[in-house]
Amino acid sequence: MAYRHFEFIEKHAWTLGILTAVMVSLGGLAEILPTFVEANRVKLAAGGKPYDPLRLAGRDIYVREGCYLCHSQMIRALRFETQRYGRFSTAEESIYDRPFQWGSKRTGPDLARVGGKYSDDWQRLHLMDPRTVVPQSNMPGYPWLATARVDGADIAARLRTLRTLGDPYTEADIAGAAKEVDGKTELEALVAYLQGLGIANEPQTAPPAAAAAAPIAGSSP
Amino acid sequence: MSSGWSWWVIGLIVFNLGTTFLLFLWAPRAKVPVLPDGTTGHVWAHGVLREGMHRLPRWWIAASFAMYLAAAGYLVLYPGFGNRQGALGWTSGKELASATTANAAKLDPALTRLAAMSVEAVADDAQARRLGERLFVDNCAACHGREGLGNPLLGAPNLADDDWLYGGSGEDITASIRDGRSGAMPPWKALGDLAVKNLVQHVRRLSGQPHDAAAAAEGGAIFQANCSACHGPEGKGNPQLGAPNLTDDIWLYGGSLAAIETSIRNGRQGHMPAWNSRLSGAEIHVLAGHVYHLSHRGQARAR
Repeated sequence: MAYRHFEFIEKHAWTLGILTAVMVSLGGLAEILPTFVEANRVKLAAGGKPYDPLRLAGRDIYVREGCYLCHSQMIRALRFETQRYGRFSTAEESIYDRPFQWGSKRTGPDLARVGGKYSDDWQRLHLMDPRTVVPQSNMPGYPWLATARVDGADIAARLRTLRTLGDPYTEADIAGAAKEVDGKTELEALVAYLQGLGIANEPQTAPPAAAAAAPIAGSSP
Repeated sequence: MSSGWSWWVIGLIVFNLGTTFLLFLWAPRAKVPVLPDGTTGHVWAHGVLREGMHRLPRWWIAASFAMYLAAAGYLVLYPGFGNRQGALGWTSGKELASATTANAAKLDPALTRLAAMSVEAVADDAQARRLGERLFVDNCAACHGREGLGNPLLGAPNLADDDWLYGGSGEDITASIRDGRSGAMPPWKALGDLAVKNLVQHVRRLSGQPHDAAAAAEGGAIFQANCSACHGPEGKGNPQLGAPNLTDDIWLYGGSLAAIETSIRNGRQGHMPAWNSRLSGAEIHVLAGHVYHLSHRGQARAR
């Protein structure tokens, strides 16, 4: 190569732009593309189940209300995170999440294993008006969830769509979906979703007690 | 990663570092045509700005070369070059394990020392207080409040008074934290509106609040028939069942007429989750000490 080739690149904005884009994209092609293409290799261990209709409705409300903007569902493999939130998150735990809810920012705490940490009553009060239970909270209230109803026909259609994408729902699951969410409010659906986080469709490779205690097991006498 | 993708990553790294490294070697030697006035002939702003020729500063060349060395060194030591594991054998899992072990080594002596003590003694230990307060804020404050004063909306009891639903000994507190507690007062609206109203007056009388004496007398009989099994004939409660003492004017859900009526009419099923799946036995022991301190050693605080 001689100087005139570089002069050509320098003096032609499109050529320069395209070649720059090629070099900049190398990182993404190496880091993102392989795992993206091989995502189907991630398999849920035995015992993991897709969302039941009520929790699926709750998950969609979680997405609709933008909870992921302030709450992550991704416990990193760092000591101070596993100590506070429990075992670190793994890829297969998000296998039924479309899209995944890892989030990229925490204004509130991580929710990956919040299921069962608080009572249903607490979750309801907290969603209606967070300050009634946590005076310091800056989370907004979501009082309209208490009156809005979950649409059963819509949920059945969503299960069917998810089955097309490969989630193992049976005909019976889909037929029974509308009945299962009948009369439920969005608040109940969201609480059901939250109370299952980290419990309900997680691979049960270890009993919950051992799994949660693992990161701090060394501290037990 | 399959070996195909591993080679893909390796190829990209070699291409990226290789291309830029060749440029790095070539650029100082490039023959750039220079005009007689010492500029390259590139002009901007109608000839006001003209591009001159200067050698790259040495520090810049040295810094750039150091970056190649750092990149190569990183790829040798750490994972990143395709599926290669790196000379150090570093993984995030091992990193976590060593950080956890290091932390346990710091905490273990304290937790072992405290585990050998009774909850009552832990309550007076300065180190346990610091550990316990941190655990309390992280895990318990959401319902009981940071100061442990409780929340009547949830029926989360005040932990800073010396009144107990399930007993206030160190052992009782430990059991409450470890296994959780579930209130199970059934709804009594089936008794009818009048009976519920009379019961409310009786409960007001039990706690020494203003009440309607005639209605309270009616309510007393209904109480003996329906409520005394759990709350006792005198309404003093039963710590075996977590049935509150109704005579002390300390209220889980509030002691107003309306609050008592709601409690009777709809029942109460307050729920405290079990913590043995989230906290270790040693941590629960320290927490129990903290709660014991709140109630027995703190200045008694009313809500």
